[in-house]
Amino acid sequence: MARMKFLCDAERCIECNGCVTACKSEHEVPWGVNRRRVVTINDGVPGEKSISVACMHCSDAPCMAVCPVDCFYRTDDGVVLHDKDLCIGCGYCFYACPFGAPQFPQAGAFGLRGKMDKCTFCNGGPEKDRSAEEFQKYGRNRLAEGKLPACAEMCSTKALLGGDGDVIADIYRERVFKRGKGSEVWGWGTAYGPGKPAAAPSPAPKS
Amino acid sequence: MAQTKIKLARRNFLLAASAGGVATAAAIVAGPSSKPKASAATGDKHAGKGYQVSEHINNYYRTTKV
Repeated sequence: MARMKFLCDAERCIECNGCVTACKSEHEVPWGVNRRRVVTINDGVPGEKSISVACMHCSDAPCMAVCPVDCFYRTDDGVVLHDKDLCIGCGYCFYACPFGAPQFPQAGAFGLRGKMDKCTFCNGGPEKDRSAEEFQKYGRNRLAEGKLPACAEMCSTKALLGGDGDVIADIYRERVFKRGKGSEVWGWGTAYGPGKPAAAPSPAPKS
Repeated sequence: MAQTKIKLARRNFLLAASAGGVATAAAIVAGPSSKPKASAATGDKHAGKGYQVSEHINNYYRTTKV
């Protein structure tokens, strides 16, 4: 069984925001809600890098773990979806998500939150596939149409890869191999820095 | 004779009222039994048509290798 994943190639991303626009257009996402964003690291500094970020459809999703009404579910393809009929808009998932994926439309004055909205990997929701209700609540179901997420397909430089995790990991591996660099972009050392040597034990206090 | 007819009409009204009550009770009793069917349908709707490798998807994978 395939496991759907996104992977953004920072060497290729040119911060055009085409993925963001494609997502908003495809699903008619309401004003103020961004299912996908482009984040630039060291903006303005030579060598800046940009990556496109949305729900990463985690294998062990924190949003799913903290939801008090258990509105999240995972499809057979590893896509994390939620049921808006169950969501109470509490915002726990927003605090739990390390990517800031859950979005909350403003439902009224005084910061009242509406039901959570997030990237669906273009796989709709619990409603009938490709129905009007599904589109109204979750957007288009491209996976059911035999397509992949609009953001990934629309990406002009093919920096944003989306699809079967095994396939896109292999595509990225080939790119890294051709460049002769890039494998250091991802991994524990990049995220947390080189490991520090263990501190010497403090001398025993003199009595 | 006229008095007898009036009495019969009253009886019919009572019969109709009692029949209606029985029907309402049956509907209430039948209510919970229909709920599991609805939840089963909910379980089914989560299992929609998912990822299937198509020509369109293969074409996308090909373009990423450029």
